[in-house]
Formats: sequence, structure tokens, C-alpha cells
Amino acid sequence: MKPFAEWLSQTSVSLAIQSHEWVIPTIQSIHILAICAFVGSVLMIDLHVLGWAWREHSLADTTKRFGPWIWWPLGVLLVTGALMIVGEPPRQLLAISFWMKMALVVSTASIQMTLVRRPVKALAASTFLVWLCVIILGRLIAYDYVWGSWSTWLKL
Amino acid sequence: MDLAAIPAWLEASTVATTIRNSLYLFALIESFHVIGVAVVIGTVLVVDLRLMGLASARRSFTAIASDVFRWTWIAFALAVATGALMFVTNATSYYVNTYFRIKMALLVLAGINIAAFELTARRSVADWDRDPVAPRSGRRVAALSLAIWIVVVFMGRWVGFTLSTTAAPLTDEIDLEQLENLIPK
Repeated sequence: MKPFAEWLSQTSVSLAIQSHEWVIPTIQSIHILAICAFVGSVLMIDLHVLGWAWREHSLADTTKRFGPWIWWPLGVLLVTGALMIVGEPPRQLLAISFWMKMALVVSTASIQMTLVRRPVKALAASTFLVWLCVIILGRLIAYDYVWGSWSTWLKL
Repeated sequence: MDLAAIPAWLEASTVATTIRNSLYLFALIESFHVIGVAVVIGTVLVVDLRLMGLASARRSFTAIASDVFRWTWIAFALAVATGALMFVTNATSYYVNTYFRIKMALLVLAGINIAAFELTARRSVADWDRDPVAPRSGRRVAALSLAIWIVVVFMGRWVGFTLSTTAAPLTDEIDLEQLENLIPK
């Protein structure tokens, strides 16, 4: 992974992103705004499944209302995420927080999609909590040393 | 009391010192701050889009507000609590940071915006509750609200980017290879 990260950081796209100080924080801010839209929409659907909101509507209605606000932000998250990886490859690719986060994103997104067909309350609550863990892991990428000796494993 | 001495006094407190010297406390507090901010803005987005007639137009405003706002306030409390804990750890640095000051001013503006809404459009909500679009004053409040929160996110990120806050505790030997990874961003 380390040689790949080093190679990636020398590509012209990577150098272009690194060339101005404001580029990365701007991409990060857009990433955060997409998180807001994503989490808000997931919360609305999960609240419906739990019976705590949107009670006078059907789940199909609520899903139709908030579905686009989950998929489009997810797209923005993937694009801004990819740009951050290309801009600072070692920061993400050599962080165990990052890989844990990616594993959770893939698995939780899959489970989230089943909620429409089988609205299980425990699943709605637990997936929401896992999404919060995804946010925590995202922030911990900058503090990957908190994992102690685990975090050095990828840097070998 | 000397106002300028307050940040230094806060920074010297036990709470601030404990967080500052911990390897993981600041990172976790900051993570929960992001969670709070995400839910605040995510929920505000639902309400603001409704006011502007851009989404959920068939649902009454009061139904949406009553469903959503309790989560906004819970999340806001979390954001303020975690924000305060982060602030005290490096109060003297945050206090003079331009982006931090702009962020705080914007939060005040957001509060004034909400108050303005309560005193104007909200008063007559029974009239427009089922309309797909709120009256113009309500739409203005919603648009301003979204603009404020977007800039707040950028300012928040810039505060973190311009301040190297808590560094990991120094050890006897500093591995230069690892040094870059030790600086929080």
C-alpha cells in the first residue's frame, strides 16, 4: 500500500490538488455538507421505521421523498472522498481508520437498502448508530495514531 | 474582572488540561461535534426545503416541524457541549482565530434568523401551513438559514485547518517519518 500511496502522490492530479492550500479543506467542507444531507435523510427514514415520525405517511412515500437525498449526497461523498485520497494518498490509504470506515460504509449501505422491503425497527436503530461510527472513524483518520500499534501495520 | 484573562484561565482548568494531554479525548470530542453538526444541518435542511417549497411540499409545515425539531435541538446541545470542551483546551488560540470568530458571529446570526421567523411568518402559520410554499418572509429565513450553515461548516473546517490544536504528547525520540501523521488536521 505504501508504494502505491507514494506513487499516487506524485501524479499530476495529486500535485494539482496539493498545489493550493485551500483545495483540500474546501473538498473536506463539501464532504461534510454531503454528510449532513445524507445523515439527515437516513434519520428521517429510520425515524419512520421506528414509528417516531412521518406517521401519517406510508414508508414508500417517505422513501420516495428522502431517497434522492441519500443517493445524490452519497455520490458527492464518493467523489470528494476520491479527490481527498488522490490529494493526500498516505493520509487515507495508510490509516486503519480509513479502511475500517470503508468496510462499514459498504456493509451498512447494503443493510440500509433492505430496510425499505423489510422495515425492522432494531435494524433501523442499529444502522443509524453505525453511520455515526462511520462519522467518528472519518474524523479519526486525522488522528490515526490513537489505534497505537495497529495503525503502524499499514505503513510497513 | 479582566476579560482578556478569561481564555487563559479556561485553558488552565483541569478539564482543558486533561483533554489537551490525552491521546484520544480531543479526537473523540471532535468526532461527536461532527455528529451533532451533521444532524443539526441535516434536519434544518428538511425544514428549510419545505419552507422554500422545494421538498415535502404536500406535508403541512407544522407536522414536519414537530417531527423534526426535537432532533435538531438534541443535536445542537451535543454540538455546543463538544464545542465548548474543544474551545477550553486551547481557548487563547481559538479566541483570536478569525475563522472561529466569524463562525460564532454566524451562529448568533442564525439565532436572530430563527427569532425573526418566530416573530413573523410563524405567527400566521395556520394560514399557510398547508400551502406548498411559505410566505416570502419564511422563504427568506430558510434561504438565509441554509447560507449561514454552509458557511459555518467551511469556517469550522478552516478553524481546524489553521490551528494545530492538541499535538500528540511528545516522546523521547521523534520519528520524522511519523511526524506528519502526528499533526491533527
